[in-house]
Amino acid sequence: MGNKCDNLSLYIINELTNHDKKQFEDHLLKCAKCQQELKSIQETWQMLSYDVEETEVPESLKSQVMDFVFEENKFLKHEEKIEAEPISFKERILSVAKRHFSPISTAVTAILIICLIGFYWNSLQLKDTIKSLENKAADPTQIVTTYSLTGQSLAASATGSAYLLQEGTETSLVIALNNMPITKGNEVYQVWLLKNGNRQSAGTLIPDQNGSGLITYRLPPEYSFEDIGITLEPNPFNTQPQGQKVLGT
Amino acid sequence: MKSKSDEELIELIVQNHRPALEELYDRYVKLIYSFSIKITKGDKEKTKEIVQQVFLRLWTTKSTYNPSQGQFVNWLLTITRNISIDLIRKEQKYKGTVQLELEEWQQMQGLQADDVQQQVTRNLLKQQIQEAKRHLSEPQQRLINLLYWEGYSLSEIAELEQKPLGTIKSRLHQALKKLRNNFNGKIGGVRHGE
Repeated sequence: MGNKCDNLSLYIINELTNHDKKQFEDHLLKCAKCQQELKSIQETWQMLSYDVEETEVPESLKSQVMDFVFEENKFLKHEEKIEAEPISFKERILSVAKRHFSPISTAVTAILIICLIGFYWNSLQLKDTIKSLENKAADPTQIVTTYSLTGQSLAASATGSAYLLQEGTETSLVIALNNMPITKGNEVYQVWLLKNGNRQSAGTLIPDQNGSGLITYRLPPEYSFEDIGITLEPNPFNTQPQGQKVLGT
Repeated sequence: MKSKSDEELIELIVQNHRPALEELYDRYVKLIYSFSIKITKGDKEKTKEIVQQVFLRLWTTKSTYNPSQGQFVNWLLTITRNISIDLIRKEQKYKGTVQLELEEWQQMQGLQADDVQQQVTRNLLKQQIQEAKRHLSEPQQRLINLLYWEGYSLSEIAELEQKPLGTIKSRLHQALKKLRNNFNGKIGGVRHGE
């Protein structure tokens, strides 16, 4: 108990921690002596404020204090009155800016604006980069391999070129032929892709009157072949060559 | 305005009545100014700053004064001391903040001095406290001065005095008790608050 009574002075000068303060207040409820002491010592503590020499107050202080108090409170009222006051638009903007932007907040705002411009510029750059990447990805049909085809037997004078084109993940075979003998009736030229002795049809074509023809064939994914052969087929829907070979790599 | 009580003036301030604040200024500025100039050791600029802050607080935080808890002038002086010490500590870059005046206010049970006699009472109180202080030992006087007027905390004072904190605490207790005893003795039967 004795120890707790010792905290009376600290309680009065407000130097107890929250915890100790709470404890002392609990103690105070039970301790008649502290209750009695509290009041008189508290009064004594407050009496210290009267230990001052009376000093003359400068005349000008009142207006300085009142100006300060009412300047500090001005905005609220100013905001209400703003419409009634005949101040120019520019002044109004300036005063609003002054009020809302301290030097620090101005600096912060400026930095934010600079960052914002930076980000915008950066995103423009990024957009360009992405666009160019997209273009690169989209256009570039790249020729992966070129084959030249030479004619034989009845199409000995025929020539041709084949291109393996890579377009994204897809691969196409384009074959251009010249000086092909004109087909008759149901006859078609059929393209075969050879791999390990197996032949797979890669489409048929009928050359124009000048003996020129073009065929595009989209290869199945992951498909590869070793040679290209072209035969003259008596009808267009053969799955295995029937007629004789007229061109090949 | 002149005939209104402090409480009535506070009521008017709550309603944003500027003349009421000016009246309170006229009534108490001398006390506040004298107090502030002592605590700032005669610095007129800082004193002005303190007086401005005190009246700004009066104007803006009206709700913290509750007449049932004591006399207005003591509340005003408590605010003034808190603002002053806050300023002093800020300038001296002391760590720690000053507690809100409300807290201190809630502990406070102000004096019931006679309104009419206020000025007389004040002068009387001053004489009494100065008389009572004379009974303190040199270290006790120094302690009260550092604590009340210079805004040092007890542990800072212990450091300055190169004494254990416990010694300073009991020195404070003794000092306050001695002040109280001499104070009461002098005032005798008209002890305030009874």
